Amino acid sequence: MSQISISHRSPYKLSRGHKMVRRTFLKKTIKLFFFVVSSISISVFFLFSYPWKIRKKELTFFYVTDEDMLPVKGVRQVSIEYSRYSRPMRTKAYIVNTGSELFALSPVCSHLGCLVNWNWPRKRFLCPCHGGQYDITGNVIKGPPPAPLSRLPMKIDKEKVYIGLRV
Amino acid sequence: MGEIFDWIDNRFGIRQPHRKFLHRDIPEGVNYSFCLGGAALVCFIMLFLSGIMLSIYYVPSETEAFNSIVRINNEVRLGWFIRSFHKWSSNLLIISIILHTIRVFIYKAYRSPRELNWVAGSLTLVIVFASGFTGYLLPWDQKAYWATEVGTSMAKTIPIIGKYLLYLVRGGEDVTGTTLIRFYAMHIIYLPSCLFILLWAHFHMVRKQGIKGGL
Repeated sequence: MSQISISHRSPYKLSRGHKMVRRTFLKKTIKLFFFVVSSISISVFFLFSYPWKIRKKELTFFYVTDEDMLPVKGVRQVSIEYSRYSRPMRTKAYIVNTGSELFALSPVCSHLGCLVNWNWPRKRFLCPCHGGQYDITGNVIKGPPPAPLSRLPMKIDKEKVYIGLRV
Repeated sequence: MGEIFDWIDNRFGIRQPHRKFLHRDIPEGVNYSFCLGGAALVCFIMLFLSGIMLSIYYVPSETEAFNSIVRINNEVRLGWFIRSFHKWSSNLLIISIILHTIRVFIYKAYRSPRELNWVAGSLTLVIVFASGFTGYLLPWDQKAYWATEVGTSMAKTIPIIGKYLLYLVRGGEDVTGTTLIRFYAMHIIYLPSCLFILLWAHFHMVRKQGIKGGL
């Protein structure tokens, strides 16, 4: 260390208008090298870990029940079985008949995605996670959900009922 | 950038001990063969970084291990690169650590007061070999399977305890999915943790005892 001639003045102060000494040059080169290597490594890490394919979810209609099994007035739960990545999956949906209107409701709570349950005595959809409550048409009555339950596309074809899901 | 680091370091104070550690006197008579240990450390760092990346996609299961390797090689973006990087770094690590050992041997740097550092280095060498051996099984193809079958059956040749040692290493009588998970855990947790401790001890002693000069 003591043999280096610049030891009595700091090499950091030799920036503008001075000749760059060898030590400063080396330090800057090493810093640049590490900067380049680490930025390349970080980019490679993100390229590597980002999923290489992201599948578009497509709207598919599933047979759920026959037309004569639809509720006359009230709510009926139907279950839908499908396969995702060749694994069997199961979900549910609610078919609601208010008397004037017939529609299908998604059970996915608009708050954080738990599945709500129909509580028949209270005539409400209750979310088990954070106490969200919806009325029979899916509008929020109480709790944290920011939006009503979403409606699912439903079609009746030759006395069979189909519900559309994005899977 | 410099100001941010200064602000942090005024409170954290890591610069001073590192400066002490990194800026040290080098004796007369050193040459480029003294860089072999550093080369091994760089290989270890590269292996660590590429290894934690591969662990995102690798599945240590009997049915999925080979498929996940194929997926890494063919489908994951830059997967072929990271896997090759890991493989070649491991080869380089073993080469450089052996050359480093030979260099220390030739320069008689194992003598007092550095005996314990030689022991730590030897243990590191053994653990690096073990890492290489356990990593070799992970692709779970024919080559890996038979290499492990043959390699682990060496344990059986030890008198008396050999049989039990073999069962311990294989997790059963044969090389199966249990062996794969065992080797995977060894490869990614047990051995690297030991290596971190040993390398810390190694560098601490290098610092305390200084570098042995030329012949």
